[in-house]
Amino acid sequence: MDRIEVTLISGRTARQGVGLEEGKLSERYIQSVNAVFLNPEDASNLGLVKGGLVKVSTEHGCVTAHWSGDSGLDRGMAFFPYGPWANQLYASSTEGTGMPQFKGIRATVSAGDGRKVPTIQEIVDSMRGGKAL
Amino acid sequence: MKYEDVVCPFCGCLCDDLEVSVEDGHVSDVKNACGISRSKFMNHGANRLEHPTVDGKKVSLEKAVEEAVSLLSKAERPLVYGLSSTECGAISKAVEIAETTGGILDNTSSVCHGPTILALQQVGESKASLGEIRNRADLVIFWGSNPTEAHIRHITRYSGMPKGMYVPEGRKGRKIIAVDVRKTGSTKLADQFVKVRPGSDFELLQALRACVRGQELPVEEVAGVPMAQIKELADQMKNARFGIVFFGLGLTQSDGRHMNIDAAVGLVAELNRHTKFVLTPMRGHYNVAGANTVTTWQTGYPYAVDFSRGYPRYNPGEFTSIDLLSRGEVDATLVVASDPASTFPADAAANLAKMPVVTLEQKTTPTIMLSKVAIPVATAGIEAEGTAYRMDGIPLRLKKLVEPPKGIHPDEEVLSMILIGLKEAKR
Repeated sequence: MDRIEVTLISGRTARQGVGLEEGKLSERYIQSVNAVFLNPEDASNLGLVKGGLVKVSTEHGCVTAHWSGDSGLDRGMAFFPYGPWANQLYASSTEGTGMPQFKGIRATVSAGDGRKVPTIQEIVDSMRGGKAL
Repeated sequence: MKYEDVVCPFCGCLCDDLEVSVEDGHVSDVKNACGISRSKFMNHGANRLEHPTVDGKKVSLEKAVEEAVSLLSKAERPLVYGLSSTECGAISKAVEIAETTGGILDNTSSVCHGPTILALQQVGESKASLGEIRNRADLVIFWGSNPTEAHIRHITRYSGMPKGMYVPEGRKGRKIIAVDVRKTGSTKLADQFVKVRPGSDFELLQALRACVRGQELPVEEVAGVPMAQIKELADQMKNARFGIVFFGLGLTQSDGRHMNIDAAVGLVAELNRHTKFVLTPMRGHYNVAGANTVTTWQTGYPYAVDFSRGYPRYNPGEFTSIDLLSRGEVDATLVVASDPASTFPADAAANLAKMPVVTLEQKTTPTIMLSKVAIPVATAGIEAEGTAYRMDGIPLRLKKLVEPPKGIHPDEEVLSMILIGLKEAKR
C-alpha cells in the first residue's frame, strides 16, 4: 500500500509544552511538533521504517514529517501536535466562526522517501514568499 | 530565598502552590510544579532575546518603540493580537492601543475557546469554581480534553484525586469519564472511556440529552457509541450528586464548533432538572480567561473587537484574526505574548508575513523571525507581577521573583511607551 486515507486531528502534548518553554527554536520543541503519530498497523501497511519520514497531504497543503506509532489511535486516524509543521495542512477558512478546523481533517499519508523535513527557517522563509516547502 | 504559594504562569489551572527557590537572582529550583511548569521556571532565562531589533538590526528600546509607533499610526487597519500569556495590566494597555489606532483587538481565544464564548453568549452557562468542584464533584467528565498532557496537575489538584469536604474519599469518591476520539493518558486514567467517532460530538451530546429527558431513540448506536452505553452514561449523570463537564478543543476545533458547546450546555441544563451539573472550558494559556475578562470590562466584548468607527463593535468570523488575515484586510500587526506564525494555518501566517509586524516576546519564535520590530520583554509571573484569571474566572496575583535581564521591561511598560507615542502622533 503506497498511501492511506486518514482522519487527521491535532492537539497539545506535554512534550511540546516542555519544549516551547526552552524556546521555539530548541531541538526539544522542534522534535515535539515535526512528527505525526500513526496507528502502528497503518504504518506497517505503508512499509514505514522506524526513523523514516512520511508525507502528509490535505487539499490545503502537504508537509514532510517524522512519524511515531501510537496504539491509542484507531486505524485510519493520525495525530499531529500543534505547530508550524501541522499548520501547513489546515485551511484558513473559519466558516464564519473565527475558528479554523484543526481536528477531523481528511488527509493522505504516504512514505516520505527521498524528501526531507523542512527546517523552521525554511517554513518561515516560505511564509515570507520564499521557496515553497 | 524561597517563595511559597507562587502562581504558575503556564496553563489555565494557575496552580498557586509552587515553591520557588531563588539564588543569586536566578531561579534555582521549583517544587510542586508539573513538567511544563518546571521547564518554564527553570528555562525562563534560556535563549532570551537580548535586545530590541528593527529589521533584524540591534536598536535601543526607544528606537524600537518609535518605529512601532510609526508603523501602527500609519496603518489603516492595524490588528492587536495575542495577550493570553501576559498579565491583565498589559492587556488593558493593548485594548487602549487598539482603540487609539482605530484598529482591531483580538486574542488567542480566536483559535481556542472562541466558539465556547459564542455558544455561552447565546445560551448561558452553569458554572462553578475549581474549589467547589474539588469539594463537591462526584462525577467528572473530560470531553474532548486531555489534561494529562495539557493541564497536567488538573486531576491531582482540582478534579480527580483531592479529598474534598463532600468527597472525603478523594479519587475513590469520584467517577471519572473521558469522552474522546482516541485513547490518551486521560482516557487511561478515567474509570470509563467513551470513544466518539471524530466529528460526531454534537450527535452524541444530543443523544445523551434525549436519554436524560427519557426519550427513546430507535437506533443501535450514535456517533459510534452503542445506545446501551449512552443510556448508562445518561443514568450515571442523572444519579450524580454534583457533576462537571470539563470540555476542551476537541469540541471547539472540530466539526460543529460552537454548536457542540451549545449542545453541551443544553445537556447540562437538562441534567439540572435532576441534579447539580456544571461545565467549564479547559482554558489553555494561563491568562486567556483574563484576556477575555479585561477586554469585556473595557469594551463590552471578549475578543474580535473592531474600533474603526470610533466605538467597539464585535463580530467573530469577521473581526477574528484568521478571517482578517485570510482576507488580507490588515496592514500592520502588534503581537503581544503570542506566536501566531506557529499557531495559524499557513495561509493566514503567510499573509501576516506580508505586513509590518511588531512583536513583544521573551524568546525567538517564528513570529519574531518575520517581525519588523522585535522587543524583548520580562516574563510575567517570574520577572514581573500582575493579575491573571484562572480557567474558572478566579483572579490570582502573579509574583515577581527575580529581576528581568538588564534593559528588559514588562509588557505593560513597553505597551505604555507605545501608547504614549501613538497618542502624541495622533495629536
